Amino acid sequence: MKTSRITKATLLVGTILVGASAANAETFRWASTTDPQTMDPHAVNSAPVLSFLNNVYEGLVRRDRGMSIEGSLAESWEPLEGENGWRFNLREGVTFADGAAFTAEDVLFSYQRASNEAADVRSWFSPVTDVRVVDDYTVDFITSAPNPLFPDSIANFMILDKDWAETNDAALPATDAENFATMNANGTGPFMLSSRDPGVQTVLVPNPNWWGEVEHNVTEGIFTPIGNSATGLAALLSGEIDFIQPIPLQDAAQVEERDGYSVLEGEETRVIMFGFPHEHDTLLYSTDVTDANPFQDVRVRQAAAHAIDIDAIDRVLFRGKIEPASQLVPAGISGYSEENSDRLGYDPDRAKELLAEAGYPDGFSFGLKCPNDRYINDEALCRAAASMFAAVGMDAELSTGPVRDYWPQLREDDFDMYLLGWSPGTFDMEHPIRFLKHTQDDEKRLGSWNFGNFSNARVDELLPLIQQEVDLEARQAMIDEVVAISQEEMAYIPLYTQPLIWAAKDNVDMVQRADNFFLLRWVTVE
Amino acid sequence: MAYFILKRLFQSIFVMLAVAFLAFSLFRFVGDPVSQMTGVETSVQDQEQLREELGLNDPFVVQFYRFTTDILKGDFGYSYRTRQPVNEMIASRIPATIELGITALMISLIVGIPAGVYTALRTRGFATQTILLTTLVGVSIPTFVIGIVLIFLFGVTLGWMPTFGRGGTVDLGGWTTSFLTLEGWSYLILPAITLGVYQLTLTMRLVRAEMMEVMRSDYIRFATARGIPQRKLHYRHALGNTMIPVITIIGLQFGGVIAFSIVTESVFQWPGMGLLFLESVRFVDIPVMGVYLVVIAFFFVLVNLVVDILYLMIDPRLRVKEAI
Amino acid sequence: MMSRFFQSDGVYYFLRTPSAIVAAIIVVIIVGGAIFAPWIAQSNPYDLASFSLMDGLLPPVWQGGDPRFLLGTDNQGRDMVSSILYGARLSLFIGFMSMAIATVLGVGLGLAAGYYGGRFDAIVMRIADVQLALPAILTALLIDGISRGLLPPSVQQDLRVVVLIIAIALSLWVNFARTARASVFVERNKDYVQAAMIMGQRPSRVMLRHILPNIMGPLLVIMTVDLASAILLEATLSFLGIGLPADSPSLGTLIRIGMQFQLSGEWWILWVPTIVLAALVVSINILGDFLRDIFNPRLR
Repeated sequence: MKTSRITKATLLVGTILVGASAANAETFRWASTTDPQTMDPHAVNSAPVLSFLNNVYEGLVRRDRGMSIEGSLAESWEPLEGENGWRFNLREGVTFADGAAFTAEDVLFSYQRASNEAADVRSWFSPVTDVRVVDDYTVDFITSAPNPLFPDSIANFMILDKDWAETNDAALPATDAENFATMNANGTGPFMLSSRDPGVQTVLVPNPNWWGEVEHNVTEGIFTPIGNSATGLAALLSGEIDFIQPIPLQDAAQVEERDGYSVLEGEETRVIMFGFPHEHDTLLYSTDVTDANPFQDVRVRQAAAHAIDIDAIDRVLFRGKIEPASQLVPAGISGYSEENSDRLGYDPDRAKELLAEAGYPDGFSFGLKCPNDRYINDEALCRAAASMFAAVGMDAELSTGPVRDYWPQLREDDFDMYLLGWSPGTFDMEHPIRFLKHTQDDEKRLGSWNFGNFSNARVDELLPLIQQEVDLEARQAMIDEVVAISQEEMAYIPLYTQPLIWAAKDNVDMVQRADNFFLLRWVTVE
Repeated sequence: MAYFILKRLFQSIFVMLAVAFLAFSLFRFVGDPVSQMTGVETSVQDQEQLREELGLNDPFVVQFYRFTTDILKGDFGYSYRTRQPVNEMIASRIPATIELGITALMISLIVGIPAGVYTALRTRGFATQTILLTTLVGVSIPTFVIGIVLIFLFGVTLGWMPTFGRGGTVDLGGWTTSFLTLEGWSYLILPAITLGVYQLTLTMRLVRAEMMEVMRSDYIRFATARGIPQRKLHYRHALGNTMIPVITIIGLQFGGVIAFSIVTESVFQWPGMGLLFLESVRFVDIPVMGVYLVVIAFFFVLVNLVVDILYLMIDPRLRVKEAI
Repeated sequence: MMSRFFQSDGVYYFLRTPSAIVAAIIVVIIVGGAIFAPWIAQSNPYDLASFSLMDGLLPPVWQGGDPRFLLGTDNQGRDMVSSILYGARLSLFIGFMSMAIATVLGVGLGLAAGYYGGRFDAIVMRIADVQLALPAILTALLIDGISRGLLPPSVQQDLRVVVLIIAIALSLWVNFARTARASVFVERNKDYVQAAMIMGQRPSRVMLRHILPNIMGPLLVIMTVDLASAILLEATLSFLGIGLPADSPSLGTLIRIGMQFQLSGEWWILWVPTIVLAALVVSINILGDFLRDIFNPRLR
């Protein structure tokens, strides 16, 4: 198939064809929708950046194929005795790409850099009060309270070389202007940055001095952002790239059917949900109910949940690739509440009954806000949901917009109901409780994405206890209680876990991790 | 002439300022840059602090003053998204867009003018009807659909052309060009056709309409009666007379070509200014958007000036004061 | 009355131009379908309760779809036929309105600028320069942004169509103005115009009666191409995410949505609206060409 195409091309247009003849088995080309905006691992806390830089930089710990924490620059770690915090025993003999040795000083420096005001990742270190270098290969992180999950929360905390950063005036992440670390990198990781043309192409080459065991056979990795998903798919199918993440899920079947290509499917950790205006006194967009907020009645919230036919959404919009969700993290994530794994089913009659009980036998109208460029099929989902709400009498006036405009609207409470997706950054249930369920509290930096301000005293009381509890069983019991409360109160309508669909050439072997991170060190090209 | 050019330059500065003002007032409504610059875990206070540091809380007039004075001082600022200097970002993307636009325009002229002449001379022929219909269909399907169809036809099914990007460029002292290698052309041709289809149809139809009109005018009839050869008549006398409106419209279209390359660049992942602008809109990267619009305005003003001068040279009748 | 109509030159030429007849039939069908959409469409894509997700992605009947849906359904379960009728309705409305506004605005300003010259001309042309320097896409972004900033959120959705019409009209008027103005410069020095002016006819009369008819040819070319542009521009803006919301199915929005399905096997979601749009735009253009020939007495 491939040979014939090349022959044809050679005959017809001479030597025009370039990418398609990438028979050079070990140059690996891949594409994704977004370019990492910086090479500085502390400047921006965003998935494209952290995912890409995990190839170049390393943290004290890292996540393995199954998302579990394993040692990276730290070989082992244990809770401190006598005070709150953790001791990390560092790996010896590790060098940065430029040859400098890795020591505890670099960890301290990176901590100071990443927890500085100029760093967007500093929220990771809000529990940390101090970092102490014990010796060249031992570092203590002191926390204000017991923090059993601290090692899990810093898997993306990447270590820079102190001398390199200071010599190049990059001791702090760039805030307004660029600095050396924006375009250059010097990590301990399996790959080194070879060239970078932002928005166009970034090239990685293996780090010959990497401490780890090399599992890949890539001699050069070329990354290209391709924003338009159809173009990305064309690039894959024409052979110009070897791998793309993600592809539109409706195209997965077609790609799978083609010779020489395969599709990697999985579940992301992101749960998609509808949020309610718990705190609003009135609806903003209603044409018939202007003096009250029906969503303050739990029966109305339940009615909304009963109106959603998740199976139809799965079958038609998602081609059977989603997993319905009962809570804000998917099964398998730590803290997932097994005993609350039932979700309110599709039951339009019950929904109408509940509406009638709540005093809205003829339903009411309201405004539904959705982004249209954030989640997979977000706009189509909302249109389908609006149609389902309408079927029980809840007349949703749908308005969709790009995410750049969407978050500010939610922050200004400009919604009657909204769509939100949440991926637990720490891969633990505590994360969504902290951001989505705790009462908004700017001072303590809690509930910052709880736009509707769901507020429950017991949940607020349990959160710090969950954060500090070392005993896993006791901790789970408290989480179960929070999940039960939010289900009873219908704090959100959890819909489903977002699917993860990648496509690659058949001859490529790789690992699809649930956080949608793509790591070059697991790639082998046959 | 010198007075004319000076006057136009002065007007151009006014146009640029007006565009800068309009562009800048638009940014306030595009979205919130801070929520795009920070991760989900960044607290509300930290976002507010960043907003303050970026001067986004200042009154509009203050922000606009800062923006214009900085640009006049040659300080184009730094991108919110990548923190790179904006002038470098734009400069590195200009060649791609200009080359794409010029190629598209060339295609439209090289194909459009002869096609216009042909269809004007043979009004009822089968080939004429086919050409007219095909080009009409071409402009009746949205650019992004045409682009994708071309990509899948020539890139995937036939495998003749690359599907995305701008490979095979040669660096000529800061200006990367696709024109010097066959590979460069292979990347350029599909996006240029996609972008040029609309201009091509417009050129052809304008040339055709003007030609048909001129051919029926008295002096051409007299010329025919006097026995001037057909070929000379068509190309020297008739075509020459059609050039004024064609040059006006096509020249004025160049700004549009550059702007519409946003869509083409996005479909072909063509690393030009349009793609950069689209990414910047998505991230509410105000400095980049602002400079992009000013650069586009500059191009327009330049092209407009050239068109006006050409006008003067082609048609001496217009050298009256009012026309200036 | 009727007999006079059938004996007119226009009808005579029309009946001798088969392409114009075919184009007219297509336009009549689509425009008629668009106007009467609320009465002939079996479901209303604006009425969320009138369709069900369970009917989603059904192919056209000849590919084994459901007999209720002649051309199949989209991923929301909306009947393609109904969507297209309503889509054409919206697209035509936007196209005609913005083209009409652009024509009146552009020709009016262009004629006046060319006629009066001087300071008025300079001002109009500088505004035109600014407008041209902000191409259609950016104008739309601007108008969209300003409307967002000025209008209360509750009416923004309802006014998206108006905003879009204004944005498209504003981005199209300059060509009319430049063409009209350039023609005035040429025409006003001609004897018949000079004569009319010397005879003391009002400027508006001179412009409308003497100058305007002479520039109908180029104007009609621009008008027809621009009607097409207006409809397509709406589609492009939709592609860039600044067009209409997805629950207002213009042809452009339908095509944008259909783009997601160009590879996945559900070809009809993309190609049915694309073909309808292309047929409509091509037919309008053919009719425009025909009208140009009719209106231009010198071409007879």
